[in-house]
Amino acid sequence: MRWWCVAVNESWSWVPRPYLGVWVLCIGLLVSHAVATRRHQRRHPESLDGREGRRAVWFALGVGMLWLASDWPVGALGAGYLSSIHMLQYMLYTLGAAPLMMLGTPEWMARAIVERTHSAAAVRLLTRPLVAAILFNLVLLATHAPVSVDTLRSTQVGNFVLDMIWLFSGLLLWAPVIGPITEWRARSAPARIVYLFCAAALIPMIPGGFIAFASQPLYGTYELAPRVGVSALDDQQMAGVLMKIGNIPIIWAVMGVIWFRWYESEQRSARRRQPVRGARSAAASRTADVTVVSRETVAASGSGRIEPPTPTGADLN
Amino acid sequence: MHAKLLVPMESPTTVETPPLGAEDAGAEPSAAARRRLIWTIAGIVIGGLLLVGIGLLASERSAAESEWAGTVLASPQAKPEIVLTDTSGQPYDLRAETAGTTTILMFGYTSCPDVCPINLASLDGALDELGDNRSNGVRVVFVTVDPERDTPEVLRRYLDQFDSNFVGLTGTPEEIRAAQAAADVPGAVRDPQTTPDGYTVGHASQLIAYQPDGQARIVYPFGTRQSDWTRDLRRLLTGEQPS
Repeated sequence: MRWWCVAVNESWSWVPRPYLGVWVLCIGLLVSHAVATRRHQRRHPESLDGREGRRAVWFALGVGMLWLASDWPVGALGAGYLSSIHMLQYMLYTLGAAPLMMLGTPEWMARAIVERTHSAAAVRLLTRPLVAAILFNLVLLATHAPVSVDTLRSTQVGNFVLDMIWLFSGLLLWAPVIGPITEWRARSAPARIVYLFCAAALIPMIPGGFIAFASQPLYGTYELAPRVGVSALDDQQMAGVLMKIGNIPIIWAVMGVIWFRWYESEQRSARRRQPVRGARSAAASRTADVTVVSRETVAASGSGRIEPPTPTGADLN
Repeated sequence: MHAKLLVPMESPTTVETPPLGAEDAGAEPSAAARRRLIWTIAGIVIGGLLLVGIGLLASERSAAESEWAGTVLASPQAKPEIVLTDTSGQPYDLRAETAGTTTILMFGYTSCPDVCPINLASLDGALDELGDNRSNGVRVVFVTVDPERDTPEVLRRYLDQFDSNFVGLTGTPEEIRAAQAAADVPGAVRDPQTTPDGYTVGHASQLIAYQPDGQARIVYPFGTRQSDWTRDLRRLLTGEQPS
């Protein structure tokens, strides 16, 4: 029994061959998440926000996606038979498993992980939108270069490394959008939309085009593999198309959700700002009295950052 | 003058977890920290670009840096005298029918699960790449080592999946054995273990390239890629010979 998938020179068979390492990893993740959550809830019952169940479901779905991408048959087909399935694996890791696991990770857990591993500064740096976008696309290019694929796909360790790199690059991609540490997310909705478009929708079209329109098979692993019903070149073209446009449904759906939520919140803010009939004069006088941002005050705060004022009796009146 | 800040008010009872990272806590990063940050970003970007560059360069194999993709024979090998039956049921004299052409000779069988379809697909793809040169006289001759199952009709149907110009030859088991010996390849052996699809046959997986002068100077092992075939066939068609 192999512990992780690997390219093998055997004819494809539909006889199931589970990979031990994949099962250990997935069960380990689920158990760790459940134990940590239960322990935290026992110690901090006041921190329950009613969304624990939903987070557990997200996390389990993410781990399920990880299992689907790594275990037989997808893992085996992607490792040694079909480049289109190799690309599907990449999508499952970066656009499926990573965001779902991230949605399932509560803020306290993320903070505990980065604090215990003393990686706060590094994680903060890596999850800055510009850095995350560059790294995500560098990983995309590097791990789809023929030399990388042919080298890594030939051993179990190589496949494991490749899969984990994809998972972590997916976590990097989504951290500025749905990361559990909220102050590390991109600050505004338009920024998140632009970030997602540039990082995940725009750049992959270029290598995807190269792969789809290549006149010869690029990857020796898949070219010389026993055939599974499709020629090496047709398979590669499917892989290229998948890289080029396969992300569109997910990325554009998320961008749409962000945009609509932003639009709704803007509408709500506008409604709140609209003065109520009869109270217009009172509102006008309050506005003149209260809401003036003084440059001198900001400068006097030293850092140039606007700090929330300490509530005092005068302010609350 | 009394001025106030326009900021969203948090409930005074809300206990906020302190943000991680010094810069998020409102503290101005020191010059050293900023320098370190810039160097880290630069390092990541440069390292990543180097990684990609090396990967792309390593994956580009130019003709100049590579010799022939096949194994160059110590001494040329003459095209064997083989007369078998083609897929239309007519006798096919290999020497006479392929005289003056670049001929690729291979032995295999239509139920082969791995080697044969890959070899044929690579050759077909390479010949497609050659475009007009395709009609310049590259012949691909496929001799079955499983005449029991590979009737002329089965052979034709199989080869047509790749290229209808590929020549398929069959014969009696004795004729096939003699052909393998004449081409100087190991004889095929029927695997006693049966598979769900029947039996398998162990056979020579190399392809022999005969040049227009009737001599083979290169033998291509299984694993020769389409790009290798494209490059080498171009050179063979121009009459280039391995030194």
